[in-house]
Amino acid sequence: MASRSSAVLHPRVFRSVGRSLLLTLPMALWSLLMFTPSLRQSRRDVTIGSAIVIAFMTTLFYLMVRTGNTYRWRRCFFVALGFLFPIGFISALIAVRGTMSIPIERMVSGDTPFCFMVTPMLVIPAAFTRTIIFPGSILPTSSNPHSIAVMIGLWLAMTLVLGKAWCSYGCFFGGIEEGFAAVRKRAKIRRTVDKFAPRLRLIPWALLIVVVALSAALMEPIYCMWLCPFKTVTEYPAVHSVETAIQMGIFIVLFAGLVVVLPYLTKKRTQCAFFCPFGAFQSIFNKINPFEIRIDREKCVDCTLCQTTCPTMALSKESIREGKTLMNCMKCGACVDSCNKDAAVWHLKGTRVGLHPERARLLFLYGAWAMATMFGGSILANSLATMIRFLPKIHSMLLK
Amino acid sequence: MTTVTDNSSLPHYTARSMAIHSLSAFAGEALALGLATGPVCLASCGPVVLPWMLVQPRGLRTHSTQLSLFLAARLAGYLLFAAAVWTAGSAIPHAWVGRSWLLGGTQLLLAGALFVYAAGFPHPRCARSASAAPLVHIGDSPHPRRSGAATLGFLTGINLCPPFLVAGVRAALLATLPSALIYFAFFFIGTSVWFAPFLSLSVVRRTPSLVTVARMVAVLLACWYGVSGALILMEKVVYG
Ligand code: SF4
Ligand code: SF4
Repeated sequence: MASRSSAVLHPRVFRSVGRSLLLTLPMALWSLLMFTPSLRQSRRDVTIGSAIVIAFMTTLFYLMVRTGNTYRWRRCFFVALGFLFPIGFISALIAVRGTMSIPIERMVSGDTPFCFMVTPMLVIPAAFTRTIIFPGSILPTSSNPHSIAVMIGLWLAMTLVLGKAWCSYGCFFGGIEEGFAAVRKRAKIRRTVDKFAPRLRLIPWALLIVVVALSAALMEPIYCMWLCPFKTVTEYPAVHSVETAIQMGIFIVLFAGLVVVLPYLTKKRTQCAFFCPFGAFQSIFNKINPFEIRIDREKCVDCTLCQTTCPTMALSKESIREGKTLMNCMKCGACVDSCNKDAAVWHLKGTRVGLHPERARLLFLYGAWAMATMFGGSILANSLATMIRFLPKIHSMLLK
Repeated sequence: MTTVTDNSSLPHYTARSMAIHSLSAFAGEALALGLATGPVCLASCGPVVLPWMLVQPRGLRTHSTQLSLFLAARLAGYLLFAAAVWTAGSAIPHAWVGRSWLLGGTQLLLAGALFVYAAGFPHPRCARSASAAPLVHIGDSPHPRRSGAATLGFLTGINLCPPFLVAGVRAALLATLPSALIYFAFFFIGTSVWFAPFLSLSVVRRTPSLVTVARMVAVLLACWYGVSGALILMEKVVYG
């Protein structure tokens, strides 16, 4: 045991600056490579946005390497992504259309940017009727580069690398609730959530079955039309009937409850943990992903601190006793960072639990951060560029 | 909606694709209903099937054959019922002014039935409505009894438990007899998934989370039927 412990780098022992810089170098080069085309553009807003993102992503990676802490630095990126995405998206919509709502004729003409949330709903109709039940264009167009083919390709690549970690390194919605969950120092509601968590955790699975079956039944993406809380901060169908008014009401109630109020009161990502059917779908891919979080039973003292910290309730007393997380673990690293016995560890499947957890963490982070830079980073750069473009207009509006 | 083979983003419908769309439409709904209500079928048929499976000679092959026979006969019972309810449903004229009221009201009743099912599972009536064990009692036999499997399957296939009635009412409102039969066939597939564990003898009981998910699915479907029924009635009130 002694030799094993000595081989383990304590996650909270800082690495030397030189070694940390060396380990960060590949990620810095990757960021540069990703944003070279944007840096070369003649538009100042795009260049500034990209330069900020390169610096931001590289610095956060350096801090993760140097401090051994994953959760805190990842959260900085993720919350920025969650809040900047709608800002950029809404500004662009208002600049182009003058409204956040999409008129029915534009929806039919395929002018809707594709959202990955719809992916599980596409499978059955595409298999049986060769139809994509989403009103977007399959190939990129000049007005809509976020076409179905591009987004599904990106999602597939990220899912293979990340598994369910998509939900903490890729999803551009999760950051909003993570942001609200970070506001309070302590949770106001804890016991009730703990008590009902085993049942609540099953809701995303039930929703997944229902939206997939009903989408196949009605040949339309039911989740997007009736249940997506994030329509409130992105794009929704224009309200022109009782039905669309009800839909809008549902979006707002779900957003306010699950993304703002409950995360603030519980310090949990309630929408991700207890509602999102796409999250349940992603959990399936955790099975084929080589990285996971494990509990080293030889070190664990069953204090359940990790369980309390986990933002998606992906640990239970039973799972801790078994040395595993539940299927919905999104590899955010909060449990590992909180465990002061070093019992919660990063793990590469096929190796002995607790053998080289830091090595497993770094291996995972290279893949995850590379994907985060490519996907989330370009969203951040785009949003920043949009904001920079609009700043003078907003400034002059304020002066008037 | 966009056809995969077509690069244009406009919908491209043919008579065949329309037919496939509508098939996928009610097949998906029937499958979801079957998956959601499967546990009630299990509760209703389980007490009959389980003891009978236990007295069959051991072996995966024997059990698979017996279960297949049971399910085939159950499907026959389903299809017979679908034909009967559709014939009754088609007696209502399409031009009848009260059809929207009937449709909206039915959807609300379906929602209510699913809520009751989700809240009170396993409903005592389901257990009572199952085919009586003595009718198909086979006893301890060293040889597998095919007739026994078929009789059991058929009788449990026509037992009137709440989810079965829900599916029956939906099938009765479909436009053609083949649609009603396909509806019940997919409903059957959804419910049959729950019978697979009989091969390893009641895995379901060891994983109660599956049952909870099924009950949640029932509640969500009830909400769906409730909202769509209410919208039909509201439209009728507003536009006449
Ligand atoms: S925080 Fe660490 S020691 Fe406490 S239960 Fe979790 S893994 Fe075990
Ligand atoms: S188990 Fe750990 S890594 Fe997984 S979601 Fe919970 S806190 Fe994050």
